[in-house]
Amino acid sequence: MSYALSLLIALPLLGAPLVYAATRVNRRLGIYASLALSAVVLLVAGYVFWQVYAAAASNSLAPGQYMLQEKYSWISFSNFGLDYFLGADGLSSPLLLVSALLTVLVVVGSRRLIDHHEAEYYSLIFMFEGAIMGVFTSLNLILFYLFWEIVLIPMFFFIGVWGGPRRKYAALKFIIFTFAGSTIMLLGFLYVYLGMIGTPGVSFNIPDLAGKIPVALQYLPLIASFIGFAVKLPLVPFHTWLPDAHVEAPSPISVLLAGVLLKMGGYGFLRISIGLFPNASAQYAWVFLVLGLFSMFYGAAAAILQRDLKKMIAFTSINHMGFVLFGAYATLVSGNLLGIQGAIFQMFTHALAVGSLFMLSGYIQHQAGTREIPLLKGLRTSMPRTAAILVLGSAAAMGLPPFSSFLAEFMVIAAGISASAFTAISILVPVLTAGYFLWMVKRTVLSPAEGEHEAHDMGWSDVAAFAVYLVPLVILIIASYLILTPALPVAQFLRGLA
Amino acid sequence: MIDYLTLAIVLMGAAALLLPLLQLLKGRAALPGYVLAVVLAAAFVLIGAFTLSGPSPSSVPWGGSLLHPDQLGGIFALVTLGVTLAVTIVSFDFEKGPSNPVYYSLLAFTALGMVLLAYSQDLLMLFVSWELMSVPTYVLAGFSKTRQSNEASVKYAIIGAMSSAVILYAISLAYGLTGSTQISTVVSGFTSNPTALAGVATLLFVAGFGFKMSIVPFHMWIPDAYEGAPTTISTLLAAATKKAGFIAAIRVLLAITTLYTVTQNPVFTMANVFAVLALVTMTLGNVSALTQKSMTRLLAYSSIAQAGYMLIGFVAFSNAPGSAAATLGLTGTIFHVINHAMMKGVAFLAAALVLLQLKRADLGAYNGLGKRMPLTAFTLTVAFLGLAGVPPLSGFWSKLLLFLSVANGPYGWLALAGILNSAFSLGYYAWIIKRMYMDEGESTERVKEPFWSVIVFAIMVGLIIGIGLFPQQVVGFVSSAAASVAG
Repeated sequence: MSYALSLLIALPLLGAPLVYAATRVNRRLGIYASLALSAVVLLVAGYVFWQVYAAAASNSLAPGQYMLQEKYSWISFSNFGLDYFLGADGLSSPLLLVSALLTVLVVVGSRRLIDHHEAEYYSLIFMFEGAIMGVFTSLNLILFYLFWEIVLIPMFFFIGVWGGPRRKYAALKFIIFTFAGSTIMLLGFLYVYLGMIGTPGVSFNIPDLAGKIPVALQYLPLIASFIGFAVKLPLVPFHTWLPDAHVEAPSPISVLLAGVLLKMGGYGFLRISIGLFPNASAQYAWVFLVLGLFSMFYGAAAAILQRDLKKMIAFTSINHMGFVLFGAYATLVSGNLLGIQGAIFQMFTHALAVGSLFMLSGYIQHQAGTREIPLLKGLRTSMPRTAAILVLGSAAAMGLPPFSSFLAEFMVIAAGISASAFTAISILVPVLTAGYFLWMVKRTVLSPAEGEHEAHDMGWSDVAAFAVYLVPLVILIIASYLILTPALPVAQFLRGLA
Repeated sequence: MIDYLTLAIVLMGAAALLLPLLQLLKGRAALPGYVLAVVLAAAFVLIGAFTLSGPSPSSVPWGGSLLHPDQLGGIFALVTLGVTLAVTIVSFDFEKGPSNPVYYSLLAFTALGMVLLAYSQDLLMLFVSWELMSVPTYVLAGFSKTRQSNEASVKYAIIGAMSSAVILYAISLAYGLTGSTQISTVVSGFTSNPTALAGVATLLFVAGFGFKMSIVPFHMWIPDAYEGAPTTISTLLAAATKKAGFIAAIRVLLAITTLYTVTQNPVFTMANVFAVLALVTMTLGNVSALTQKSMTRLLAYSSIAQAGYMLIGFVAFSNAPGSAAATLGLTGTIFHVINHAMMKGVAFLAAALVLLQLKRADLGAYNGLGKRMPLTAFTLTVAFLGLAGVPPLSGFWSKLLLFLSVANGPYGWLALAGILNSAFSLGYYAWIIKRMYMDEGESTERVKEPFWSVIVFAIMVGLIIGIGLFPQQVVGFVSSAAASVAG
C-alpha cells in the first residue's frame, strides 16, 4: 500500500504548526520553511501525477479505477461504517499537481504583499493546502465533506484578516454562503445512505456507490449536491459571494480562491453529481447545459463592465468555470468524450492563467497604487515588464493558441456543438472573452502614459515567478497528452454510467 | 465487597455534608474547592471504571429496583460529573469569598443528584434525585447576591418548582393507572392499556422534563436565569442539569407510544410531537440568538437551539423503534449531549472569564479579544465552530448522526430544517469569531488568563478536537448504550 496520498494531506497539516513556530522565531526562516514545505508537497504531488499518468499511458488504468488507494476503517458500529479512503485518478491528479504548484507560487508571491500576522498567514496556507489535497483525494463522501468544510476556515481568516477595506463583510458572506451550500450537499449524501441502508454492502465510499444508487434515490441528492457545487464553482445565480471575496482578499489568496477553491466545484460536479447520480444527471443534462452557458455569457458580459481590474478577473472566473460544467454535461448529452476531457483540462489551465492574472493585479496595485482600469495608463512605458506579463497572462486567459487554454476551450466547445444546435452558440463565448481582455489591455498597456509615474517595475526574479505560471501552459499545448491521457478513462467511465 | 459506584456516591455525599464545616478553619479559603475537586475527580474515575467494567443491575445490591446501573446511566453520570468538575476547578479563580465552603457543598449536592438521576429506574427515585439536583442550583443561581442574580434565582426557583409539580402530577397519574412507579412497568402499562389519562400523563412528562431540557415553549426562564446567575453556575445549568433532563426523558418517554394509540389519530404521534418541538426549538433558539447583545444570553439561546437538535434523535427513535435509524438517532442524541456538554460548557466558562476580567458581558467586549486574551479567544473559536457543526470537531459527528437518522423518510424535512439551522447558526458564531480576530478592541493590552481556567480550557479543547478526529471509541460505546435502550 502506498502512503503518497496520506502524505499529501498530512505534510501540510502537520507542517503548519512548524511553519508558525519558525515564522514567530524569524520572518525569513518562516518563509524559507514555507517554501521548503510547499516544494516537498509539490514533489509528492508530482509523483502522484506521474503514477496516474504512467498507468493511463500503459493502458493499465481501467475506467473507474483509482490509483494509490488507501483504505482504513475509521468509525464503525452496529449498522454504520465510515472508511478513511483515498485514491487518485485522471480527474484528481492534475488538480493535485496544480494546487501544489500554486501553493509554492503563492508562498513566493506573498513575501512582499503580506506584512502583518505572517506566522498565522503561512500556517493557514498549509492548513488550506492539506484540506484541499484531502478534498481531491477522498473517496468517501463524509471524508470528502469533512475536508470540504475545513477549507472554509483558513479562507474565512484569509479574507477577514488580510483583506481590503470591506474584508469583514466579505468574510462573513463567504463563510455563510459556502457553509449553507455545503451543508445541503451533505444532506443529499445522508439521504442516499439512509435510503440504501438495508442494501448489502452499502457505504459512503464513492466506488461502492457509483452505478449502484437506484434512480429514484438520485433526484433529490442531485439537487442538494448541485447547490453545494454551484456555490463553489460558482454558477450564476449562486456567484454573488465571489466578486466580494475576490476584491477583498489579498492577491495571493485570490490566486488560491480562483485557482484552487473554485476547482472544488468543478471536481464535485464530475466526481459526484455525474459520478454518483448519472441517470438523473443525464435526464436533466439540458438544465445544466443552459446554466453553464448562461454562466459563460454572464461572466463575460459582467467582466466587460468592471472598472476594477481584480473584479474583472473575478468575473472571468465565472466565465471560465462555466466551461467546466458545460463540457461535463455536453458529454452526457452527446457522448462526445472531448467534453469531460476538456473540462478537466480547462480546470488545470484556468488555475494557472487566472492565477497569474490575480497575482499580477496584486503587484500592479502594490506598485501603481490603484487597480482601477481607467486610471492605469501607459503601463507599456512605465512598467514594461509588468505590461508584458499582463499581455501574456491575458492571452493565456482568453485562450490564444500558444497557450493550452485554447485547446481546453476548443474541446469543450466541440462537445457543445455535437450536443445540439442550440448549445453550439457556446462558440461565441471566446469572442466576448477576447473582447474584454483586449479592451482592458488597450486601456492599460497601450494607452499613452499620463504625467510622471514613479512606478517601480517588477524585478527579474518576479518575472521568473510569473514564467512558472505561463510556461506550463505553453508546454501543455504540445504535451497535452499529459492531462488528456489520464482524463480519458475518467471520461469513458462517466459516459458509461449514464 | 463495596463496588465503585457505591463508593463514589458515598464520597460525594460525605463531601456535600462535611464541606460547610471547613468554614471553621479560618484562613484556608482555597481548601474547600481543592477538596471538592479531588472528590469529584475520584468519583469520575470510580464511575468511569464502573461503567467500563460492564455493570449489571445486581452489582449495586442496595439499589434494589430503584437504581439500574447500566451503560446509559454511566455515560450521563460521567458527563454531568465532568462538567461539575470543570466548574469546580474554574471556580478556584472566581469564588474567593468567605462563604465558599457552602458554594462547593451545594455543587457537591447537585453532582450527587445528577449521578443518582442518571441511574434512576423508578419514578420516585427519579423525582427525589431531580430535586436533589435542582434545589442547590436555585441557591447557586443567586449566589453573587446582586439584584440581577437574585432575580434570576427567584425566577428559576419558581419555574423549577412548577416543573417539579408537573412531573409529580404525571407520576401520580402514572401510579394511579398502572399501580407502580417502576419505569418499565409504567411504560408497558401505558402502552398496553392506552387511556386518555395515559396520554395526558405522557404530555405532562414532556412538559416537566422540557423545562430542564430547555425546549420551546418551556424555555422562557433560560436566558434570564443564565444571564443573571454567576456565569460559572450558568455553565452548570446549561451543560449539566440540562443533560439530566435528557436522561430522564430517554428513560421515561422514549418507549411510550400512547399518544397515537389513545387518539387513533395518525397525526398525533409521539414522533410528530417531538418533531414539532424539535423544529420550533432549534429555529426559535437560533433566530433569537442572532439578535442578542450579551454573550450569556446568546449562549443561552444557542443552548436552546442545541436542545432542538438533540430532539431529532427522539423523532427517529419514536418513529420506528427498533430500526437502524432509531439506533442512529439515539446514538446521535446521546453523543450530542456529550459534545454539547463540552462545547457549551467551555464556551460558558470562557465567557465567565471574560466577564470576570473585563467586567463586561456585552458582545462589544469581545472585539479584539484575540489579542487581549488569545487562549480564551481560541477556546471560544473551537467551541463555536464545534457548536455550528464544522468538521472535524466532535460536534460535527453527533449532528451528522442526528441528521442521518431522519434524512430519508417521513421526517426528511426535519433533517433539512436542522441543516439549514446549522448553516444559519454559523452566522452568529462566525460573527463573534470575526469580532475576536478581525475587529479592533478598545485596547490591545494583554489581560491575565488565570491558571486553572486555562488548564480546563486546554483539556476541553483537546477533547473537542481529539474526539472529532478519532470518534470511534466514544461513538462505539455510546451506540452500544443506545442499542440497549432500543432493545
